[in-house]
Amino acid sequence: MIIKQVIQDALSRRALSDGGLVDRPGGQFRVDATSWGGLLLRAAGGAQEMLERLRARLVHEQGQDGRVSVQRDHPDSYWPTALAILVWQDSPPSQAAQQRAIHFLLESSGNHFRRRAEDPPAHDTLLKGWPWVAGTHSWIEPTVLSVLALQMAGHGQHDRVREAIRMILDRQLPHGGWNYGNTLVFGRELHPMPESTGAALAGVAGQVEQGTVARSLDYLQGEVDRSRTPISLGWGLLGLAAWGRWPSNGTALVERCLVNQSRYGEYDTSALCLLLLGASAGETDMKSALFLDPSRNRAPAVLTQ
Amino acid sequence: MSDHVDPKSAGGLTRRDLLLAGAAGLLLGSGLLLVPKRYYRMPQQAQAFVTKVAHYQLDIADAITRGIRELGIAPEELNGKRILLKPNLVETASGAPHINTHPLVLRGAIEAFLRLGASAVMVAEGPGHRRDTLAVYEESGMADVLTEDRIRFHDLNYITGYELPNAGRQSSMRTLTFPALFKEVDWIVSAAKMKTHHITGATLSMKNLFGVMPGMYYGWPKNVLHHAGIENSILDINATLKPHFAIVDGIVGMDGDGPIMGDPKQVGVLVMGRNLAAVDATCCRIMGIDPYKIPHLERADNWLGPIGEGSIQQRGEAIASVRTNFNLIDTIPAQQDIRLA
Repeated sequence: MIIKQVIQDALSRRALSDGGLVDRPGGQFRVDATSWGGLLLRAAGGAQEMLERLRARLVHEQGQDGRVSVQRDHPDSYWPTALAILVWQDSPPSQAAQQRAIHFLLESSGNHFRRRAEDPPAHDTLLKGWPWVAGTHSWIEPTVLSVLALQMAGHGQHDRVREAIRMILDRQLPHGGWNYGNTLVFGRELHPMPESTGAALAGVAGQVEQGTVARSLDYLQGEVDRSRTPISLGWGLLGLAAWGRWPSNGTALVERCLVNQSRYGEYDTSALCLLLLGASAGETDMKSALFLDPSRNRAPAVLTQ
Repeated sequence: MSDHVDPKSAGGLTRRDLLLAGAAGLLLGSGLLLVPKRYYRMPQQAQAFVTKVAHYQLDIADAITRGIRELGIAPEELNGKRILLKPNLVETASGAPHINTHPLVLRGAIEAFLRLGASAVMVAEGPGHRRDTLAVYEESGMADVLTEDRIRFHDLNYITGYELPNAGRQSSMRTLTFPALFKEVDWIVSAAKMKTHHITGATLSMKNLFGVMPGMYYGWPKNVLHHAGIENSILDINATLKPHFAIVDGIVGMDGDGPIMGDPKQVGVLVMGRNLAAVDATCCRIMGIDPYKIPHLERADNWLGPIGEGSIQQRGEAIASVRTNFNLIDTIPAQQDIRLA
């Protein structure tokens, strides 16, 4: 109930009269802030009128080809498209927009190329996922968001989704965890990051056996306990929740993180909503806006690496 | 010590130069003069200041204040001005504080600029590797220092941007999108770390400016810039943004497999100056690296600034007195054959 109150307070101070959310109180409209806020409202339930206004604003921001970009004058930065698909889920007025966005995602991918022996990165550069920005390589978080969106919208068995899950697994670090999407460069294993690890674990949950990601889960459990900032903790909690490991001290961690705004200033809306989504994953009276519920759970087929 | 004869300033011409000059002549005759900028550069002059600072507990503010004065920066240039310090915050790893600009260097710079009359100093960064900027800010120790000093930190990755035409025109990017915050400041200071780099050979004050490009437009790890070419992008950002000053933290740098996986390297210096190319060239010489073998510096020469030793007036310590050869890795192409003679 505390989390629901925080959500209501936070979003009401960041809502615009025309339906969008600003980046922080008194700030400017941002598509990703509006999208994460919409996801949070879907999880929390209630506030249906506000949710519909956010959905309508995202429809207004959609490009003709279905993409939803971070700004209309920056069409290449289309990574919020997957977030919009999730926000539009189960919304009849948004159905046409959601279908256009799904079509766009399925027709787009990162820039992929055959790796030469002398190239520094070690991952399989041919496996397709999704990029942050058109014309660039596929990376972990935009791929995870696209996988979750397409699964939620009923395309979990699509070849692109299955290939993207293989891509995510291919980018897992040998000692566990993920970073933004590189594994070894010039033969050196790079460092994992909690936000990327949480996102990746959320993306592959239900699709692979636990043993495949055991080291990553162990890494993330340790990191979440010491995470003090909203993006790391939000994705960390979501990643653990996806594997049934939401921590017993999760609420205390979220409260500590909220208190830290006295240190960092008020959080960016997207980061705050992500944190609260992570918190909501531990609340029994809230549904998940990112994951299918168990009765409609993900494809039963388990991939192997 | 002259490590390199600059063929452009020495009047030397290669066969390629002659062919290009011939082509330029043909174009001139046809009224279409399109000579690349690097072939009509005039020699430039700049200053760089080097000071010894053995460890981070010494009076860094005093060292930076002395540097700014030695470089001839007049009080009226700073009086009442708003200063933005851009550190190098990339990611954090246990036991590897040498990845990032040390927070006490930032504290020293803040104190120095305020002491010299600046009306406000802020710190801003948009890390390339981590989406969670605040985590890097916290884990690097920067948050403790800036919170104590009541200095505002801005996350550049999520600040709405404004576009400028690409003044460098080295890449295919027609415009560059900078954080709107930059419209509110008078000076942009690159507060970089002295490191080797496995793609660019060295990363110093010019490369540090990758971090000003907002991730929400450029992705993580600033994917658009990588696809546009790292060297091209470094030059385009610097040519378009025109930063005002550089301070390089070489108290403890990083050598080997930088910018993340390398080893700490004790050098005990701060290097600063108005001209970033000249500052970086000086850093390279201190690191035992030939700046003419660092492609983006070689291309910047006498355009964004001079990199020839004879064109940089050295203030403070002599390079030879602080030179500390950084470990270079033979198997990394960008670090092959770049050792200064």
